[in-house]
Amino acid sequence: MSDLNKETIKTLCKLSRISVTDEEAKQLFCDLKRVVDHIEKLNELDVSDLTPYAHMDEQGIDALREDKTEETMPRETFLKNSPDCVGGMIRVPTVIKDV
Amino acid sequence: MYRKSAYELNQAFVKGELSATEITSYFLKRIEAFDGKLGSFLRSYPERALEKAKALDEKKRCGEKVGRLAAVPIGVKDNIHVKGDLTTCASKFLENYTAPFDSTATRLLEEEDAILIGKTNLDEFAMGSSNEHSAFYPVSNPWCLDSVPGGSSGGSSAACAARLAPITLGSDTGGSVRQPAAFCGIVGLKPTYGRVSRYGLVAFGSSLDQIGPFATTTRDIGMVMEVLGQHDPHDATSLQSPPDDYLDLFNGVRNKKIGIPRSFLEDLQEEPRNSFNQAIEVMKELGCEIVDIDLSVLKYSVSTYYIIATAEASSNLARFDGVRYGVRAKSAKTLDEIYDLSRTEGFGPEVKKRILLGSYVLSSGHQNAYYKQAGRVRAKIDEAFQTAFQSCDVIATPVSPIPAFPKGAIRDPLEMYLQDIYTIGVNLAHLPGISVPCGFNPKKKPFGLQFIGQRRGDPLICRMAHAYEQIAPFAAEIPPEFDREAP
Repeated sequence: MSDLNKETIKTLCKLSRISVTDEEAKQLFCDLKRVVDHIEKLNELDVSDLTPYAHMDEQGIDALREDKTEETMPRETFLKNSPDCVGGMIRVPTVIKDV
Repeated sequence: MYRKSAYELNQAFVKGELSATEITSYFLKRIEAFDGKLGSFLRSYPERALEKAKALDEKKRCGEKVGRLAAVPIGVKDNIHVKGDLTTCASKFLENYTAPFDSTATRLLEEEDAILIGKTNLDEFAMGSSNEHSAFYPVSNPWCLDSVPGGSSGGSSAACAARLAPITLGSDTGGSVRQPAAFCGIVGLKPTYGRVSRYGLVAFGSSLDQIGPFATTTRDIGMVMEVLGQHDPHDATSLQSPPDDYLDLFNGVRNKKIGIPRSFLEDLQEEPRNSFNQAIEVMKELGCEIVDIDLSVLKYSVSTYYIIATAEASSNLARFDGVRYGVRAKSAKTLDEIYDLSRTEGFGPEVKKRILLGSYVLSSGHQNAYYKQAGRVRAKIDEAFQTAFQSCDVIATPVSPIPAFPKGAIRDPLEMYLQDIYTIGVNLAHLPGISVPCGFNPKKKPFGLQFIGQRRGDPLICRMAHAYEQIAPFAAEIPPEFDREAP
């Protein structure tokens, strides 16, 4: 049985870096409980003899392409999407204080 | 002109009957005139598209060889990059995000002289089955404006069905091309996993995602797949194998064996069951042999999918932290607040729900019970498909248990997820699936028939769909509201 409760929802939110109001947490709990109760049905199946699926194409997947130098995205292009940047770098609030 | 297929438009251009500029302006005008009712596009590209069209007309005038998709207007789901334009994923988080590079799919289309005319609406980050979860506005079904177009590629399907673009691109993680194609009465293909490069597609569930086209004929699907279905070194999951012959549509389907998982379809309601059975009768008349197959394990496919897809999504969406790109919460004062507030303000409720579910099934103490178990059941589902294909060439099922439902009608998330029951197994087992319209209910809402093929069996399922639509041309029917010229 799942251990999903209102407390777990809060922990999950913390882990996922998402804040929710008490009202939202209540709704999330109801919704997730429905889904989790359903997905638990998977444990009815005995599949202990199988290894988890990891598909490879019969002809091989080109996981490693040739190691050659290519142009990568110019810094200016990347920084155009950054919410805050200065001097070619992304700016964030001070992380380490009073060293 | 809106009644023409992509192939017919291309031929009209090649023969000099229509210029690329005429075709492009015509469809841009249709979007402007009709999309207010649908909400299928998030943005159209009048300037960009007309510039490309003009250049193409000039290229032809100079006698240069034109590409295989010359002058075909194409709408692109807004989770696929077109360099220099926004890629919003219909999320507030990315409302100002400009694609820094071209996706391989759109690059290939443009190299063959297709004209990209705009970006289509979707469920936020492609998470949804109804297109009610766009952060900007929902999409309506062209057959019934009060109903949903399906999802998550609902914008692409509605646009194509209303003849605002002859071809559109979507992405399919659990049915997001096939189900909206069925709801809107057009053709939609989910290719074999790895057949179309995902480079430049914003990731949702990486072991499931696949880009696929919508069109009003299977021939058009083949025409686009001839261009898209090739190896790409920029996508580590891209198939090495050479491109398949998608236009091998006319070799007939006589003696092909169609497997039907009757026991899996037991709960199907009367109307969709009748339309499915009639479609199978058509295939029999075409000379196909029908065999019964067992895919009862697919009753576990929705559970398996919602573990694997949300686990992958929670990991893929961790990159949206408000630091490097996307929206950063204005009130955030510390780094922790940047993460928390940006994600809280940027993501909509469905995305948050799936991230939390993904975090739950991956969290310590649960990984074995959920994620690893789902991986094993996925292997069992794959095994069941492989066994089935020993006795048949393709598998046929309906696309969805019900036709397009009214907006707001399904509030329970589990009930919504269960709508994907017939499409999800295909993604889990990396197979190709095509949705082709197979009739209407009394309220004139379309039903879809799905052919599922073996890996890299995409050309055969296209051939089956093509043979079917020659006898039962439901995809040629146009929603009455849009079956007219733009005023």
